[in-house]
Amino acid sequence: MADPQDVKDAEPAPAPTERRPLPGAEPAALTTGRVRDARVRPAPKVPSWVLKIIMAVTGTVFALFVLVHMIGNLKIFMDPEHLNTYAYWLRTAFEPLLPYEGLLWIMRIVLLVCLVAHIAAAVMISSRARASRGTHKRRGMTNLRSFAARNMLVTGTVLLAFIIFHLLDLTLGKAVAPSGYQHIENGQAYAYENVVASFSRWPVAAFYMFALLVLFVHLAHGLWTVVQDLGATGRRTRAVGLFLAGAIPLAILLGNILIPIAVLTGVVK
Amino acid sequence: MRLTLEVWRQTDPADAGRFETHVVDDATPEMSVVELLDRLNESLVEDGREPFAFESDCREGICGACGVTVDDRPHGPQPNTPSCHQRLSSWTDGQTVRIEPLRSGAYPVVRDLVVDRSALDRIVQAGGHVAIQAGTAPDADTTPVDHALAEMALDFAACIGCGACVAACPNGAAHLFVGSKLTHLASLPGGREERGKRARAMIAEMEQDFGPCSSFGECADVCPAGIPLAAIAAVNRERMRVVLRGKND
Amino acid sequence: MTTEFHAPDAVVEGVETGSILDGQVPDGDPRTAWERRRLGYKLVNPANRRKFRVIVVGTGLAGAGAAAALGELGYDVHAFTYHDAPRRAHSVAAQGGINAARARKVDNDSVDRFVIDTVKGGDFRGREADAFRLGEESVRVIDHLAAIGAPFAREYGGQLATRSFGGVQVSRTYYTRGQTGQQLQIASAQALLRQVDAGTVNLRTRHEMLDLVVDDGRVQGVVMRNLLTGEITAHTAHAVVLATGGYGNVFYFSTLAKNSNASAAWRAVQRGALLASPSFIQFHPTALPVSSRWQSKTILMSESLRNDGRIWVPAKADDTRAPGDIPEDERDYYLERKYPAFGNLTPRDVASRNAHEQIQAGRGVGPLKNSVYLDFRDAIKRVGKKKIAERYGNLFEMYTHATGEDPYTAPMRIAPGAHFTMGGLWSDYDQMTSVPGLFVGGEAGWGYHGANRLGANSLLSACVDGWFTLPYSVPNYLAPLLGTERLPDDAPAVTEAVERAEARVAKLLAIQGEHGPTYFHRELGDILYEGCGVVRTQESLRTALGKIRDLSKRFWTELRVLGDEDRLNQELEKAGRVADYLELAELMCIDALDREESCGAHFRAEHEADGEALRDDDLWAFVSAWGVPGDGRFVRHAEPLTFDAVPLTRRNYK
Repeated sequence: MADPQDVKDAEPAPAPTERRPLPGAEPAALTTGRVRDARVRPAPKVPSWVLKIIMAVTGTVFALFVLVHMIGNLKIFMDPEHLNTYAYWLRTAFEPLLPYEGLLWIMRIVLLVCLVAHIAAAVMISSRARASRGTHKRRGMTNLRSFAARNMLVTGTVLLAFIIFHLLDLTLGKAVAPSGYQHIENGQAYAYENVVASFSRWPVAAFYMFALLVLFVHLAHGLWTVVQDLGATGRRTRAVGLFLAGAIPLAILLGNILIPIAVLTGVVK
Repeated sequence: MRLTLEVWRQTDPADAGRFETHVVDDATPEMSVVELLDRLNESLVEDGREPFAFESDCREGICGACGVTVDDRPHGPQPNTPSCHQRLSSWTDGQTVRIEPLRSGAYPVVRDLVVDRSALDRIVQAGGHVAIQAGTAPDADTTPVDHALAEMALDFAACIGCGACVAACPNGAAHLFVGSKLTHLASLPGGREERGKRARAMIAEMEQDFGPCSSFGECADVCPAGIPLAAIAAVNRERMRVVLRGKND
Repeated sequence: MTTEFHAPDAVVEGVETGSILDGQVPDGDPRTAWERRRLGYKLVNPANRRKFRVIVVGTGLAGAGAAAALGELGYDVHAFTYHDAPRRAHSVAAQGGINAARARKVDNDSVDRFVIDTVKGGDFRGREADAFRLGEESVRVIDHLAAIGAPFAREYGGQLATRSFGGVQVSRTYYTRGQTGQQLQIASAQALLRQVDAGTVNLRTRHEMLDLVVDDGRVQGVVMRNLLTGEITAHTAHAVVLATGGYGNVFYFSTLAKNSNASAAWRAVQRGALLASPSFIQFHPTALPVSSRWQSKTILMSESLRNDGRIWVPAKADDTRAPGDIPEDERDYYLERKYPAFGNLTPRDVASRNAHEQIQAGRGVGPLKNSVYLDFRDAIKRVGKKKIAERYGNLFEMYTHATGEDPYTAPMRIAPGAHFTMGGLWSDYDQMTSVPGLFVGGEAGWGYHGANRLGANSLLSACVDGWFTLPYSVPNYLAPLLGTERLPDDAPAVTEAVERAEARVAKLLAIQGEHGPTYFHRELGDILYEGCGVVRTQESLRTALGKIRDLSKRFWTELRVLGDEDRLNQELEKAGRVADYLELAELMCIDALDREESCGAHFRAEHEADGEALRDDDLWAFVSAWGVPGDGRFVRHAEPLTFDAVPLTRRNYK
């Protein structure tokens, strides 16, 4: 049975034109109605969800470390001996179960492993993110949350630089350390004196304060991400997570930032 | 009102693409973004110029076919609103509206504003279903489902599959989509038996095309179905659950 | 009774009377017909099922269900959709719910009562035995869809929740908020993808059907256009299922998705299938009115709104006051006044016609005076805003998105909009069309709904066809074909079909006139709303026929399709669809003109009593199934309808 329109119109239809290939498409995929079947990447050896959990766990270790570190730092507002004794105690803690500086070395090794894992995972994750997002970068995001999220690599790099500076300045007493840096001698630590000497240089104090703000931004988003990465889906768990993701970084920021301010204003001498 | 349109023109997936500028003089505030494209296309056709290809079907915000990036935002400036419901009242006379495809490395552009979102279907195909054959289901009333649980399942089941969440994500992640499917199916009696197996299959498929989640939260901002952000956490929860449980359910 | 049947003579020019059709309904009690029929069906050995290829066109509720179920059984299923993903089919847009005669509550529901409601609601122009099958299988549909992922609403006790829905007095509608269709469709599409994953179904997206391959009196394949590459290819099979939805978009403004179209069904008609009751179109009473020039469709608001909303218009014409300023005694709650028993819940056709009448009388509201109010003020007062938000929250939100008005404070405005096509490809009790090997499911078919479909029966009919009818009846057709090879790809019938499709595409591109397809489509819609809309007259139909024929001539000389045929070309897709609409519209008007009675949604102003549809059961108790042999000829075949369980009565909702 013929199409009635064809019957009405006896004119022959023009011949179909030459068929051209569709550039950028896979022929096999096209036959099923898709442009391509190739994936952005083959199944990764270390899945992204594992990388995210590594980042979440190591990040949490850092956050807890920084929190405890901040609480220790607050001893500076008691008399100088308190802080110095605490600094020395850290080295002799659990003796004789642990050797001298045993606790510190355990912590240093754990932190170093966390740091390496955190950075490695971050690099892999961001390279996957770039591949998946494609050539057109998402633009036009305006809110604060996404500002923090977008700048995790930047804030992370600043923090890495800060950690190196901080270790040279107040742990190793090298290079950037204040000229009067005093190492531990005969069971006497000089943490208080070193901090005061270091922060008395205003550019150093300013860098510390800047780094603390960066830490706040990094941690606030980082901890909120931990809530997702560790799979908190319940309404109440998430609410608590959101609160802690704000409260912990804020406490760390406030507790620490008081110190350079106190030194600069002469409250702590 | 008069609006200047910058619309993406791309002849095929390999073409680099570019914006073309057009003016629509008789736009009205009640028109939607897709109706604006209709209007533009109709005037292009009358002028003998090729219209822009774009996808749109039900125009009721439920089919998920429409999806364009408007002024840098998937679907458009109104949060949680599909392109077909983005009204022009968001703009004023004389403004410029920029319309381009949903952007993601996993969405090759087919033509102009049309992208291929089949990577999402591959994820569903990998495990986003329930292995119960027609006719073999038990009486749906024999297993009671708590009212709140059913409502929660529906909150997540509401996904319309438009894929804007991926385009909104600076990482090109599909966690909102996958998390919503996993949560929806894990909440219901039929879907529970394969909960672990499903999570493993869907997440493995997802990771080949889509990025890791960095909790930007942009996805939940643009999602026309209002899928809760908690969906993104469900991906890792379900995946860790399989590891800890070591079973298919 | 069948033997005594005589179809009335055709009076419309171009119309011939054809044969008397046999619906193959099992004799005897319709209550047990399905059970007896199934027992009679032939089976295919599981080992042989892979040898049979079945093509399913469309992946909506009916198509996805049929493809998935046949795939599960082991047949070699090839499924096609023009969408980019099976989940997008327009089944997603159904809001209110799905009926099932589970009859758990003590509100006295039963399968029989479901059938009575369906048959009576359809004004006795559907097949009674089909309605029994629909009711019987409805129970399993709910169980199955709940099991595969549809999160049906639950009561606090954990049991499935139901509500009562447009036109019935029992509570048998299962729902998932206002997105039942969406949830059923997602579940079915997932089930389909499960089969794709298992390798039993070969799914091709972005493929549009352009033609059928008919050879040896059987449908043996389809011709598809790959929408991405424009490539036109033939796919052969042992049987073809069309689940391609309804043709309401012929009206341009409708509640359907923009891409829903009639082309597959119409092509089947051109290849010898029959189209039953094409003029039976349901106008949904709660669509959003057209209020601006570039509006692209009339968005559907779920009918469930009528459970709590009260419909009214100002009592006097041309009242321009804001709704809130019109005092209670100057409002006309016309449905409650005229139909005290059913009130705002009268069936769709009655509600639409009454709204049409009020609007025609100048009492319409809104800027274009083309709508009526649907007011929630009293319901909010009675149960509180929170409860109303829980019931209709997303509908209210959708309304606000679409109109910028807040239904919590001001009444909604609604108007009748073309919605569901009760008509469709004629099929027998086994869902097979008059061309062997061509099956039909869902809205593309006819069967259950007669002249008017009950709310929440469309999801049901699509699910029952797809999941629980075609998987029984298609194998029955296939069984005797064991050993018959599929038609080879280079058979003359295949080549001919491909060439025909290619020539048509080339022809559309060659016109090079001045207007795009949408221009003609919009004009066609206006003609149909005017001439073949909520109320039809002989005069309006004749005028419409003339205009459609003129428009069709203009279409084939003034159409302009830009772009190429070997690329994604949406103008070309639209052009092909509009070309089919023009031919279908002509047949719709012919059918409406031919049927000299009013029934359900087909309201001929010449046949009314007291403002109600006046059926003529002596002459017209049959289904017109139209054949279109070409040359402007229309052949009306007739399947007489008999009603054993539901006595023929005039509908009365007063």
